[in-house]
Amino acid sequence: MMTEWTADEIAVFADRFGLAWLTPELLEQLRAAATRAAAAGAAVPRMPSEFCEPAHIFTGPR
Amino acid sequence: MDAVASPATRLTDMSVAAASRLIGAGELSPVALVEAFLDRIAEVDGRLHSYLLIIAEAARAEARVAEAEIRAGRRRGPLHGIPYAVKDNYFTAGVRTCVASRLMLDHVPDFDATAIVRLRAAGAILLGKLNTWEYGTGTGGVYFDLPFEPARNPWNLDHFTGGSSTGAGASVAGGTAMFALGSDTGGSVRLPAAACGLQGIKPSYGLVSRYGIHPNCYSLDVAGPLCRTAEDAAMVLSVIAGPDPADPASADHAPDDYARGIGAGVAGLVVGVVRGLTIEGATLDPANASGIEDMIGVLEGQGARIVDVALPSPFADYRRVTSVINWTESLSIHETDFLERGAQMGRALREKMMSGFTLRAVDYLAAVRHRRALAAGIDALMRTVDVLILPGAFHTAPNFADPDAVRDFTTHSTSSVFNVSGHPAMSVCTGFDGLGLPANAQIAGRWWDEATVLRVAHAYERATPWQARRPAL
Repeated sequence: MMTEWTADEIAVFADRFGLAWLTPELLEQLRAAATRAAAAGAAVPRMPSEFCEPAHIFTGPR
Repeated sequence: MDAVASPATRLTDMSVAAASRLIGAGELSPVALVEAFLDRIAEVDGRLHSYLLIIAEAARAEARVAEAEIRAGRRRGPLHGIPYAVKDNYFTAGVRTCVASRLMLDHVPDFDATAIVRLRAAGAILLGKLNTWEYGTGTGGVYFDLPFEPARNPWNLDHFTGGSSTGAGASVAGGTAMFALGSDTGGSVRLPAAACGLQGIKPSYGLVSRYGIHPNCYSLDVAGPLCRTAEDAAMVLSVIAGPDPADPASADHAPDDYARGIGAGVAGLVVGVVRGLTIEGATLDPANASGIEDMIGVLEGQGARIVDVALPSPFADYRRVTSVINWTESLSIHETDFLERGAQMGRALREKMMSGFTLRAVDYLAAVRHRRALAAGIDALMRTVDVLILPGAFHTAPNFADPDAVRDFTTHSTSSVFNVSGHPAMSVCTGFDGLGLPANAQIAGRWWDEATVLRVAHAYERATPWQARRPAL
């Protein structure tokens, strides 16, 4: 079960990865966006087989 | 703002095909045509806001050259002397390309996007750079916080144009450009076409070069035209399509002459119809519901065989995959801008960047992997029919005064299905609602079979009066 980001967690995350200009209002927008994104990401079906790979994003010359 | 039915009495009301025929016959001057559009821009664009930048003198100079070449018997093709405009995410050498962003207000590229190079070689005349959502993307919301006024819907200036190619929709419908180029990551050609009563096609992924278009999402971005008619779209697509070594996603697929067989009719074609779709509980507006049934009836009356089909996966699957891929790739493209100057972004772009900021790598890879399954499902369905008809935008253009409805216009649409799958898809005008706002349906086709999509759209268009109607601006 996924838990939502707390305000403190998102503030630490933003600071760690260089997001320095957030006002409290924008921090709350980021928290909401992060929660939406996490829900969307978690809802995507996972690998049906280890051979179902997304390797087409890197292929050699043909 | 009443919608009026009127014959094409003004030069700016003509289709590309009609103007091209007159230019070819020596009965219409490209100089006069360009002047007519510049006059129209001066007359209405202070209210319409379709343009961010007009390059009048350059357009006049190109028109004089076109006229001289055509008179000298050196006509380059059917677009020679035709005025057009591009969404301001297409790079233009020596001409500001700011993508409606404070972050790029001084940005002047030193090269042209490939699509513009091809149109210039064909003799088309660029009038200017069109309004857009910031960076050609967003979340669906319009917050009036960009350095430019949002484009307005020519059918009612209080209403939204659809996004993100807002100016492309407004300009062609409002008569300030004869055709326009937009770009489509999740519907950004088809949704403004739907809102503004145009025919807008998202070609197969890789058919039209994206080189020189400010990137939004590498694996979903597609460039395409918005036009008054399907024939116009076919003429433009025939020029801009084709391989480009500068675009890593460009397909090794030779372009067609998409206008050549457009009048072949639909007799014998198998048309799959998707009915009963809902998104987050939303259903089609009545005008869109009756419009799509009208389209089906017209095509059946012309000899198409109609079969009911269903999307192979729940719509929410396509939406989630699009969102996760789009948010992640978009942030990867614009990460430095977001980290260093995100406070200067408008809310819609900033929120989208925020959505990508915390997404996990495994979520992105799961979406990329699942995309392949979804695309295979759509492809299998598409191989059972010649084209698919389904709703595009569920709603007619909402009033700007209702921000939830503005956001819902984007959210309640099926357009992302074909960004995920890569198949060609086109928004077609199917009439008007009681307020005079355009209705729409979507026609999708097999990979690389834009010709059949355009042929079906043309058959419907020729049997209905909608494209003769012009907004009373």
